[in-house]
Amino acid sequence: IKDDFSTGPHLFTPMSPYDVELPIQATKDVFHSQFHQPKTFHTDYSSVDLSFLPDVTQDNTEQSLSSDGHEMQKEPDGSVPRSKYSGVSEDESNVSHTAATQPSPETSGVCPPLTPMTPITPASSASEISGIVPQLQNIVSTVNLACKLDLKNIALHARNAEYNPKRFAAVIMRIREPRTTALIFSSGKMVCTGAKSEEQSRLAARKYARVVQKLGFPAKFLDFKIQNMVGSCDVRFPIRLEGLVLMHQQFSSYEPELFPGLIYRMVKPRIVLLIFVSGKVVLTGAKDRSEIYEAFENIYPILKGFKKPS
Amino acid sequence: RCPGCGSEALVEDALYAQQQLVCAACGCVLAEGLLTTTYSEEEHLREVAYSQSTGQKEQLSRCLQRGIRRVQDLCKVLQLPATFEETAVSYFQRAFQLPAFHLVSLEKKELLGGCCVFVTCRQHNWPLTMGTICSLLYAKQELFAGVFLSLQRELGLSVPALSLADLVKTHLSSFQLFQPSANIPAPFLEDKEKLVARTMGIVELASKAWLVTGRHPVPVVTAAAFLAWQSLQPRARLSCPLARFCKVAGVDLPPPAHLRLKELLEILLGMASQLTWLRGFNLDKKTVVKHVGDLLQHRVFLLKNAFCQEEEWADGATGQGSRGQGSPGQDSPSSPLVTKKKGCPLAGKRQCEGPLRPLLPPCLIHPRKRLRPAAPSTSDSALTGDEPISDSEIEQYLRSPEEIQAFRKAKAW
Repeated sequence: IKDDFSTGPHLFTPMSPYDVELPIQATKDVFHSQFHQPKTFHTDYSSVDLSFLPDVTQDNTEQSLSSDGHEMQKEPDGSVPRSKYSGVSEDESNVSHTAATQPSPETSGVCPPLTPMTPITPASSASEISGIVPQLQNIVSTVNLACKLDLKNIALHARNAEYNPKRFAAVIMRIREPRTTALIFSSGKMVCTGAKSEEQSRLAARKYARVVQKLGFPAKFLDFKIQNMVGSCDVRFPIRLEGLVLMHQQFSSYEPELFPGLIYRMVKPRIVLLIFVSGKVVLTGAKDRSEIYEAFENIYPILKGFKKPS
Repeated sequence: RCPGCGSEALVEDALYAQQQLVCAACGCVLAEGLLTTTYSEEEHLREVAYSQSTGQKEQLSRCLQRGIRRVQDLCKVLQLPATFEETAVSYFQRAFQLPAFHLVSLEKKELLGGCCVFVTCRQHNWPLTMGTICSLLYAKQELFAGVFLSLQRELGLSVPALSLADLVKTHLSSFQLFQPSANIPAPFLEDKEKLVARTMGIVELASKAWLVTGRHPVPVVTAAAFLAWQSLQPRARLSCPLARFCKVAGVDLPPPAHLRLKELLEILLGMASQLTWLRGFNLDKKTVVKHVGDLLQHRVFLLKNAFCQEEEWADGATGQGSRGQGSPGQDSPSSPLVTKKKGCPLAGKRQCEGPLRPLLPPCLIHPRKRLRPAAPSTSDSALTGDEPISDSEIEQYLRSPEEIQAFRKAKAW
């Protein structure tokens, strides 16, 4: 048997692979005596048997995993994600958080034809899929309210507005839900920051527009556009930045005198990654969240290739 | 009439033996060797004025000239080889033409010259630190950083990493400990070769122990140099603190150096616990310095055995309890694995157990950041962005008429 022990205990949960309080208590002993390779113990769900899912065969699993197969990876219990990303965001909380996680209701009772005794040999490309999903931290969007605004008037009549014309020529407005901040300019243009998802950003922008409307201005909601998305995640191992900058000189900039992280400018997709010695990675510059995921899947094998074998 | 300035004060002058018709006002040479009789002939035969020749386009602007002179001066001050000066000047000229640097403040243009010198040095592995250049330019480091990064991007330059080994040599050269002098007490004097060699060893050890990555290099070198110096004559030097050492040596003491020193000593103490002939002693951070030589000699072996080399970890790098296969009831896992790693039962990604701490960057051993809050709840993830917005929710953000009145009075809008 090859290095396939990853199909064991963490087969049924997208959570921490170290959480051994799983339904499969019985099989633990069988597998533990065989475990010896550290490298198999990572969040690698690609080796999960997905044959029970419709239309996903072992062959096209790898292809779909590399593009947008995240929902496939994340839900071995077969539940269909409500929307393309909702399943991902649900599960990523379980995967990438260090806080203790509870087994999700869907996965605890799972017992489909999957048996831990039939491990599937992962194809070489699949073993590089990280199983880690970057979490979105900030979305910046802009919208055109299409009317001239009297900023002094807005600052006077709104509770949640800040206006300091000497410091900055815009009103800074905040709302509680979704927790965001907006910069509202007298031209009618608005920037909305702080949301954690595209939908939240859009909802927040609409709320700001409504506030402006209620203040008496004929605000519209034109050309809403996501301008930037920031995500972050943790690869869970330390990274020798000095080595990485040597290997990927044309993309990397590592100046410890200036900044402790390595700045990696990925060409495709055009994303800037900040890579830190702790293994934490920040990804920014995306206009669509798929770019963040793609960028991370591109960088993960590079970072992994850097890990010292122990 | 002079075509250049219109003056009528034309003088016949001779340049050596050649007759020339020159304007006395502006010095424009109208004709050489010929006396013309008509104005049109004069025009045809006059010299092409310099302002109309291509020479004007080749003339460098005053700003560029000044910048080039600055670059050259910097190279001379830093005693760089001549080739460096040529390269730096060519970078400067290239960058100066780019729109990104053309319309910037004079301050930035000053820094641009310094950046070109800095980049040139780095490309030749000449260990010049940003700190040095900034102090030479009297520049703020943040501004320098911005100009440096733009320069790198605009010219598409690849700047190799700072070589730590070279930095050690250069930095130690500035320490005034190698020549006897009036203000250096005898116990402070040290042999340069020995000090450099030992400092290199300590810096290399620090690098392996994750103390260097992501940190400013100079404080590491300072702390390492101090330890090396102490260890070469421990009896006399153990009582000398880092601050005094730096003062006597005539170097700055960067604030992080104290912390780097602490971290280095911690690593050394850990290693010392694995040296059989030192196990008997109860070493502390003072006494371990005496054994730095031995520790460095056996560093490969000691690092492997003193610290848990597993570089991955379970949920939470520090003390998330014994999750993972280390939990009770799993006695079998340890046995087949212990063969190579003494005292560190490892099996894949799990926390190190026992007294050995993992060999990880300090930011992971002592994480300061609080754990990330839970991800958005399921209700949020079902958001479409087009949800209806209630009036009451928006009205909570609007001031009531009384509030507005009160504000008006207070702020006198």
